[in-house]
This record gives sequence, C-alpha cells and structure tokens, in this order.
Amino acid sequence: MDKPAAPRWRRDFPIGWENDQYVSRRELAKFLTLGSALLVGANALIALVGRFRRRGAEPALAIAGAASLSPGQSLLFRYPTDEDPCILVRMPDGRFVAYSQVCTHLSCAVVHRPESESLFCPCHLGAFSCAEGLPTAGPPTRRLPRIRVQARNGELWAVGVEA
Amino acid sequence: METRRQGLTLITALCLLIGVVLIIQLWLVAAALDALLSGETGVLVPSALVSLALFLLDAGLLWYVLTFDERIRRSSPDE
Repeated sequence: MDKPAAPRWRRDFPIGWENDQYVSRRELAKFLTLGSALLVGANALIALVGRFRRRGAEPALAIAGAASLSPGQSLLFRYPTDEDPCILVRMPDGRFVAYSQVCTHLSCAVVHRPESESLFCPCHLGAFSCAEGLPTAGPPTRRLPRIRVQARNGELWAVGVEA
Repeated sequence: METRRQGLTLITALCLLIGVVLIIQLWLVAAALDALLSGETGVLVPSALVSLALFLLDAGLLWYVLTFDERIRRSSPDE
C-alpha cells in the first residue's frame, strides 16, 4: 500500500524532526557540561571556605562557676560565640569534659544524665557518651564537637573546638 | 560514513551519561556542604578534586560530541 501524500502545509513547511532533535540534544550536552563546570566552582568555593574557617583563631573564654562543680554535675555555657550552647561535665574521676550542646542529628539541645554518664537528646532519644562524645544510641551518627578546656590560675577556660 | 541518525543516537547516549555525572556532582556539593557545616573540613578538598575529575570527563564527552558533529558537517554539508 502506498504511503498517503503529505498534506500541503507539510510540503510547504517541511520539518526535519531528526535534525531538530540532533541540534537540541547537542545544545543540551553543552548546557549540562556548563552546569558541571558550575558545580566544580561551587565545590571549590566550599573547600576554600573550609580552609579559611580552619585557620581562624579560636578565642579563649573563662567558664564561670566551673570550679564549684562536683563530680557528676554539669554546667551550661556558650562558646565560641553567644549563639553556640555548650555543656561542661565533671566526670566521676574529677576531670572536665565539654561538648557542643547541639545534637548532631537535628540540632536539639542535649542534656546531661549522670546516672548513665551520657548526654541525652530528648527529641529523638539519641545519646552520646560523656567520656568521648560518641553516639551510643538513637539516630545520631556523628560525635558531638568537643570543646577543649584548660585550667588557668584556678579557673577553667574554653580554648578551642574539635569537630 | 557517519550520519545524523547515528549522531542523534550517540548524542542521546552521551547526554544521559553527562546527566548521570552531573547528578553525582550535585550529590558531592550537598555532601561537601554538609561536611563544612559539621566541621569535617578534611573531606572538602578531595570532594572538590573528584568533582573536577568528573567535570573533565564531562568535557571530554562534549569534545567527542563536537568533533563527531564536525565530521558529519564535513562529510555531508547539505544536512
């Protein structure tokens, strides 16, 4: 059976769909490669910001009231800025450990549980060990950032953050 | 001799490949941002280097598309 003749409008204005798709996909390949270059730029920018942040000097801040803590007690403070809540814990053996109070799961505030020597997140029942700040239960997978502390002239000072 | 029909198939396949690489790069950016915000700065430079390698792969594929296109144009200028 013969193929029916194309309508007149198609004969007057022929469209080469194959050619059209060829050109549009070639242009899409160029566009995607441009997007790839932009993503390299974004990744490089993030790496630069990370490098710049790491070199920044961390302030030293006295933790008021730390000396009066008994073993098993804890104290809240803010470090390195007023926007960063932290928790200082005096362990049963007398040493001090401090961590960011922000849970690494969804940023709720953790609280100290001396009976289990853990830092507990009430939002999703996550827990971290007091000794190391490592996650021991619940959804968190990353450790709590540790705050370095030093004793200076009878006072306890926060001197840095270890991510 | 290469034709536009072959070229269309080739370019469609390469577009898919470039798209997959692009999605991996997007994931790398998201992971790098997550690492930056959580303070794990050690993974940022390797992530940027891998992203650069993937871009070079994309650029290589695009170069192949463009040279293929040039060959087609040379062999059949009326197409």
